[in-house]
Amino acid sequence: MRNRKRTGWHRVINGVSISTFFVALFIGLPLYWIIASSFKTPVSLGTSPPQYFPNPVSTTNYQQAFSQYNFGVYFRNSLIVTLIATAIVLAVGTLAGYGLGRLPMRGKFSLMVTLLMISVFPEIALIAPLYLLLRNLGWLNSFQGLIIPYAAFNLPFAIWILRNYFLSIPKEMEETGRIDGASPLRTVWEIILPQALPGLFTAAIFCFTACWTEFLMALTFNSANNYRTIPVGIAEFGTVFTVPYGTIFAASVVAVVPIGILVFIFRKFVISGLTSGAVKG
Amino acid sequence: MATISQATDQAPVTPSLAGHRDANTRKLARMGWIFTAPALILIAAVTIFPIIYSVVMSLNNVSVSGNGFALNGFTGSNYSLVFGNSTWRYALGFTVLYTVVTVVVELVLGTLIALVLERLAAGRGWMMALLLIPWSMITVINAELWSYIFNPTYGAMQEIFGAVGLGHPNFLGTPTPAIASMMVADIWKTTPFVAIIVLAGLVMLPGDIYEAAEIDGSSGWDTFWRITVPLLRPTLALAVMFRVLQAFGLFDLPYVLTNGGPGTATTSLAVLGYQAMFKNLSFGPGAAVATTTALLVLLGCLISLRTFRVQVGKENA
Repeated sequence: MRNRKRTGWHRVINGVSISTFFVALFIGLPLYWIIASSFKTPVSLGTSPPQYFPNPVSTTNYQQAFSQYNFGVYFRNSLIVTLIATAIVLAVGTLAGYGLGRLPMRGKFSLMVTLLMISVFPEIALIAPLYLLLRNLGWLNSFQGLIIPYAAFNLPFAIWILRNYFLSIPKEMEETGRIDGASPLRTVWEIILPQALPGLFTAAIFCFTACWTEFLMALTFNSANNYRTIPVGIAEFGTVFTVPYGTIFAASVVAVVPIGILVFIFRKFVISGLTSGAVKG
Repeated sequence: MATISQATDQAPVTPSLAGHRDANTRKLARMGWIFTAPALILIAAVTIFPIIYSVVMSLNNVSVSGNGFALNGFTGSNYSLVFGNSTWRYALGFTVLYTVVTVVVELVLGTLIALVLERLAAGRGWMMALLLIPWSMITVINAELWSYIFNPTYGAMQEIFGAVGLGHPNFLGTPTPAIASMMVADIWKTTPFVAIIVLAGLVMLPGDIYEAAEIDGSSGWDTFWRITVPLLRPTLALAVMFRVLQAFGLFDLPYVLTNGGPGTATTSLAVLGYQAMFKNLSFGPGAAVATTTALLVLLGCLISLRTFRVQVGKENA
């Protein structure tokens, strides 16, 4: 943090705190609106002018989301797909990140650039061939049909983050392991991995968020009710005639909870991932 | 200052006696390939093969039968069909406009927010946590939220516009307001993300330069444009690139918020490609739309890198 003169820093009300207040309002009001609306009854959701505080406070929407709209199933599906995909990304990505970061491979640079190019490719360009592939494998409407594409799409960024963390670990650490005669795999597991833990957290959070929020592939590959993930489930709550906003927002609040907690606990890693992990070479 | 241009091999120094890598180095290199192989195979299976297949599809007469697609020989007609189609040309224009407007607004707003938060003495951690919530939110949920806010009969925005005396526009039912509404939804979700990237870049800037500037009597405005912006360039480039790529693949928001409408007013390239392939089963033209979008994304990526004069290469900027 650099040191600059802050005129009037001791006063509570100043330009900075007022601006911060407006920023918080700009972000917070729509969030409040989701939560408040999720507790309104169907009737009070449709009043004009809108109710600024839910009155009466009702939990009907939450009950309906689970009982009538299968939200429990979608939640479970999202959790299964996201957790397994993230685990695969971490396992496979750690090995690759270590190889690319610390072992003297030739052609590493071109490989990293290729990975970077792949990670920016829009999903729409791949969706049709993938659909065909999954269909031939009989994997449409299955968990593996989403887990494997999710893992593959999130690997490049994870490898990139992990490689940067591995690069920043002093070389002497693994030489110690090598002299002791440990195998490279053991060196990674026992010496390098504990050092790279922050990088693993960062990669995990990014992968989790991306899988949890992904829509296009989930919509195309898993359209059967039993295999829908949360985004697809919520998008299909509405019909042509009615959109059950109350239920949608109740489900939304529940969907935000796990990732909100995760992001809140690991916010340091998210922020370092958005900056050092991605920016630093 | 770390930049993305440093994204290169700094790891184990290449031996100066090129071509004479000792046995140990070779062994380690082999180990490296073994470690990297699972990731590469997975990525190749899910991305590289489909990328190639997508291009092939776009250059073929594709017919759909009960058990899949069949490629019926080379043709350029998919592309000529797409390029000659006014809906595609509109979608291209809309996607470019959408990308430019949202990225510029988000960059300006995000930088302003970062500058404010940088001066915030207490509660910065809480603000950061708040900023991360929209970022981690499912886009479908964001779309549903704004469709409720912009609802023509009971939306909160009707109330706000009425109170300010701007009347009661049909936000999502008329083309221009629908586009603007979608941009608002995007800006709300993504500005915080830009703000965090810029804030982290600001915090990393060396403080002594600012002291020197202050001693020289440089004004705040001058300092910002002459010192902060140039030093932030790599960070800004990174933020812009992330955003351009994301915005250009725009799909979730229009699919849920407006279903591409009214008419085709908010049909992005990705929505058009999806509709062509999975609604009309025109896989050839759909693949042409998808491939063109991918090429444009790569082009956009290169342009933003050039604009910010950042190179992904082996030099240190």
